[in-house]
Amino acid sequence: MKEVILDCMGEACPVPLIKCQNKIAELEIGDVMIVQIDHSCAMKNVPEWANKEGYNCELEEVDDGEWEVIIEKSR
Amino acid sequence: MSEGTSIRRSSSRAGTTRKPKKNQLPIALAVVVLIIAVGIFASTRSANAAIFWITGIAFGFVLQKARFCFTASMRDPYLTGGTSITRAVLIAFALTTIGFTAIKYGYAVKGLAIPGMSYVVPISGATAVGAIMFGTGMVIAGGCASGTLMRVGEMFHMNMISLVFFIVGSLLGANHFGWWKLNFISNGPKVFLPDYLGWFGAVAAQLTLIAIIYIIAAVYEKRRGGGGAAH
Amino acid sequence: MEGSKKFFDKITQTEFYQMWFKNAYSYVTGAVLLSILQIATLASTGEPWGVSGVFANWGAWIYEAFGGSVDKWYYFSSQGAQNTLNSGILNDPGSYRNMGIIVGALLATLFASQFKIKKIKNKKQIVAATIGGLLMGYGARLSFGCNIGALYGGIASLSLSGWVFAVFMFVGAVAGSKLLVKYFM
Repeated sequence: MKEVILDCMGEACPVPLIKCQNKIAELEIGDVMIVQIDHSCAMKNVPEWANKEGYNCELEEVDDGEWEVIIEKSR
Repeated sequence: MSEGTSIRRSSSRAGTTRKPKKNQLPIALAVVVLIIAVGIFASTRSANAAIFWITGIAFGFVLQKARFCFTASMRDPYLTGGTSITRAVLIAFALTTIGFTAIKYGYAVKGLAIPGMSYVVPISGATAVGAIMFGTGMVIAGGCASGTLMRVGEMFHMNMISLVFFIVGSLLGANHFGWWKLNFISNGPKVFLPDYLGWFGAVAAQLTLIAIIYIIAAVYEKRRGGGGAAH
Repeated sequence: MEGSKKFFDKITQTEFYQMWFKNAYSYVTGAVLLSILQIATLASTGEPWGVSGVFANWGAWIYEAFGGSVDKWYYFSSQGAQNTLNSGILNDPGSYRNMGIIVGALLATLFASQFKIKKIKNKKQIVAATIGGLLMGYGARLSFGCNIGALYGGIASLSLSGWVFAVFMFVGAVAGSKLLVKYFM
């Protein structure tokens, strides 16, 4: 069980979501991925995708216009 | 959206104290004052300017709050497999079709000139070439025209660059427009659906088509499921 | 200062502030609100919402500011276009609307306390923004508008051109996606 940080700061849509989709494929079940984003659309489409896939997902606003999406590969 | 996360995180990161966030409401209120000031100025310039200014503010506000992105509606089905924005855009098309047609019909039935007919434009090779260029460009630049403006307001420097070159491209397009008009556009037909299907038939046909695309989009998203990024 | 911050924090933490100004709206909420605004726009101005045509005028004004002239260009030859160009940006309603979209989006991020300046991350973004912007600008002139005027306004106006635009723009979006993944990621 490991925890990886995916830095998507400064990346525009749809790059953060594609990076998430590629990264999660490399992870094992139970691993946690923390996605750092500052693109206001990604704070919506990344959690939406994670929920649709059935992963545990939480969104945290860490600073003005900066978010961390915490995704657990739960299945 | 909770502050304390329930997903277990490594001890090094869990419980990290965040610096307190600033409250930007005072700046927002200053912007409201500016908006009112510009609105009053606009109303002295031309009859329509203030209405355009206020609707522009409303369009920008709604686009940002909903993260409404026409680019994503065309791009995500292929690239990430998501169609939720695509389906929302279809809902907007359906609702606006009903409202627009009601207004147009109201004029037509009184024998008045139908408003907004300048948006019924000729279909030609230029439509296809322009649409392909536009579709390619908006995905690369991360925003179409409205999306670019919205993200300029959100202070994305990348979209500021693309706005500058959008303007340059528009000028080039306007410069070459005569050639396209002569060779393509002038031969293209304008097709206003009620002329062919009647008012009721046109709306019914269009809403049916929108519903069919909506179902296809929803089923496609489910089927593709855990597909992930396309390559 | 401390007192006023507390006062503002109190406002932003209320239920209705969170609902209307802090949290993102759903896509469907956005669709409904945009439709209402579109219909209000047609009813009040006699034209659907358009965005990219204004950019051509901005280009013409900038070109003229540098000593160029667009008087002989076919695109600007109509009486309406000449009137718009001659009366200047401060009298052009479309310019007010486009500026309004920028300020409206800015206002929304400030209300949500999510304002942040996003700098360029790498050279790829500059190249992508330049090529993308040029393609969009040129393409929008050929097809009489963008996603708003040619697509949304066209389809809602029951014009077949809107659907034709949609089909070919989707082709372009797929091509753009392939380029994006290959070169700009």
